Amino acid sequence: MNKNNQNSSRPALSNYVFRPEFSSLLILIVMFTITAILQENFFTLKSIVRNINAFAPLILLAMGAAVVIISGGIDLSAGSALSLFTCVLTTVMKKSDPITGVYAILVTLAVAILVGVVNGFGIGYLRIPPVIVTFATSYIWLGIGLFLRPTPGGESVEWFRIFYNPGMIEGIHPYIKQFGRVIPPALILILAACLIWFIVSKTRIGRHIYAVGSNSESAYASGINTAKVQMQACIINSIFIFLAALFFVGQNQSGDARMGDPLTLRAIASAIVGGVAISGGKGSVYFALVGALILNFVNKIIFFADISTAYQTLVSGLIVIIAIAAPVAYTLYSKE
Amino acid sequence: MNLGISMFFERYKKIIVAFILIVLLFALGGIIVPNFLTVEQVLFTLKLASFTALFALCQMIVIAAGGSGLDLSVGYAATLTAVLTASVMDGQNANLGAAILIALALGSAIGLANGALVSFLELPPLVVTMAMANILQGIVNAYTAGRNITGRPSPILATLAAKSTGKFPNILFILFTITVLVMIVLNKTKWGTILFGVGSNETTAYLSGINVKAVRCVVFVISGILASLTGLLLIGNMGIAFKDMASNYVMPSIAAVVVGGVSLTGGDGNYIGVILGAIFLQALTNLLIAFGLGDAGKWLAFGIVLYVLLSFYASDRRSR
Repeated sequence: MNKNNQNSSRPALSNYVFRPEFSSLLILIVMFTITAILQENFFTLKSIVRNINAFAPLILLAMGAAVVIISGGIDLSAGSALSLFTCVLTTVMKKSDPITGVYAILVTLAVAILVGVVNGFGIGYLRIPPVIVTFATSYIWLGIGLFLRPTPGGESVEWFRIFYNPGMIEGIHPYIKQFGRVIPPALILILAACLIWFIVSKTRIGRHIYAVGSNSESAYASGINTAKVQMQACIINSIFIFLAALFFVGQNQSGDARMGDPLTLRAIASAIVGGVAISGGKGSVYFALVGALILNFVNKIIFFADISTAYQTLVSGLIVIIAIAAPVAYTLYSKE
Repeated sequence: MNLGISMFFERYKKIIVAFILIVLLFALGGIIVPNFLTVEQVLFTLKLASFTALFALCQMIVIAAGGSGLDLSVGYAATLTAVLTASVMDGQNANLGAAILIALALGSAIGLANGALVSFLELPPLVVTMAMANILQGIVNAYTAGRNITGRPSPILATLAAKSTGKFPNILFILFTITVLVMIVLNKTKWGTILFGVGSNETTAYLSGINVKAVRCVVFVISGILASLTGLLLIGNMGIAFKDMASNYVMPSIAAVVVGGVSLTGGDGNYIGVILGAIFLQALTNLLIAFGLGDAGKWLAFGIVLYVLLSFYASDRRSR
């Protein structure tokens, strides 16, 4: 606490209050309360499980976006990559042959790592600005996705529903069924992502991601292979997107080359609302989860307030601008 | 003399590359696809490319001012203008003035919002303009929800954008006029010097008394206005307005600038090269369609072209 205050003339309390994490938690509590009031049965098990399922994809993508943004990059291809993964999964799988599900997971994981490598190679080794690289690759993923699935569809093995709702699988053990009713698989996917990041953040890679993001020149000068670190961040992001793809195919049993597009900006927005600085090096991957929850609650509130869903893209665009403009406006204001 | 020629090649290296690419593409198309090289087909390709070129002009001006600027909102700025002016014009020439006024107001409002956020609050241009695109898309969706978009373009607009004089599409005259204007403004007036000055070195520009922030704001306003006016031409060409009519131009507009050899770091910009880039992309699209690779092939090819060219051009400024 004292350490934090040494360089600041501001009193101790405001040091906490003006931390982005604090304000995002506060907003989350407000959103949570409003939603709980508006939605009947908000606290029933069924509705909690349904909400977790609805929120999971954005949470996973937001955590991935946070990793990339902290490393000093940004990923405009996340949505297209998600779509591509659903297309690959549903192309490899044959409904009649359960073992193809395993092949599909392995192939798509390889594709996911490749996607991370291509993005990371452009950002890290070729040193093209991250926004442009991922803007270009987003169309590469879209193109490949459209080759595999010109129209939404495809097939999936029955047991893939285990990533969405084990209760829907015929002849499954009643214990698993019961377990799935209490703990939705989406929650396990989110916990898996948290675990992956927990392990990574305890290693050198995690520290290097922060170092490269906050100042890549001095990180390079102190012997960090910055290009490699940026590529690792892209691969972690890609793996989180892969987890979201598992969930989507489990839910819809089909693939769609364009389904992920609206999620790209929402994922970036979630990370920023969760207090991740767009300039890199600052913020927490776990708080991106908070940001994603806020954005999801906003959507729910729009729904309950009887505002047309046509306004949802408008509102999420506004939220992004407010979220990135607010900290800057605050700094300008406090300078005067 | 020799030195003069080599300097010419050095300066216009990227444009020459773009030109060679186009010639190769047309040659390839002419050999493989029947009717690819007929006069009608080539002129039709140029007509389609000119819309991409107009959107690419927005990008080029924003990019030239530096600060890693790009404008992803051009597509929905054009769509919103087209959707709103369709019912205003209602097929009457008398209403064209009102439509143009709406386009100007809308374009400058959108551009001003983008520019203020990017230059005065120093927010990343791609995120701001992508969010702006979402907002505009939301407005279009809300406006079109539960109603049909009625109205037709005024006959003058349709003549300018869709019709031809003889075999020659009229839109090419517009593009030609704009090209001459752009070349004069950028190369012969102080506006061009200021724009490229800000883009190539903002500190020097600032020290020589240029208001860098104002310039970076104004380029977005120009981009917004041009995008809205292009939206008018689009509805003139298509005859109707619809929800996603211009969203497919955003990616090609940026790719055209890169293929045209304009550095994404700012400080230069040759519109002739950008037009060549747009023609290249359109010819590539036609060729892929002839091969039966529609949308999938187009987006994949555009993505790869952009990635590969960027990786070549990025090596120019790689230091360590």
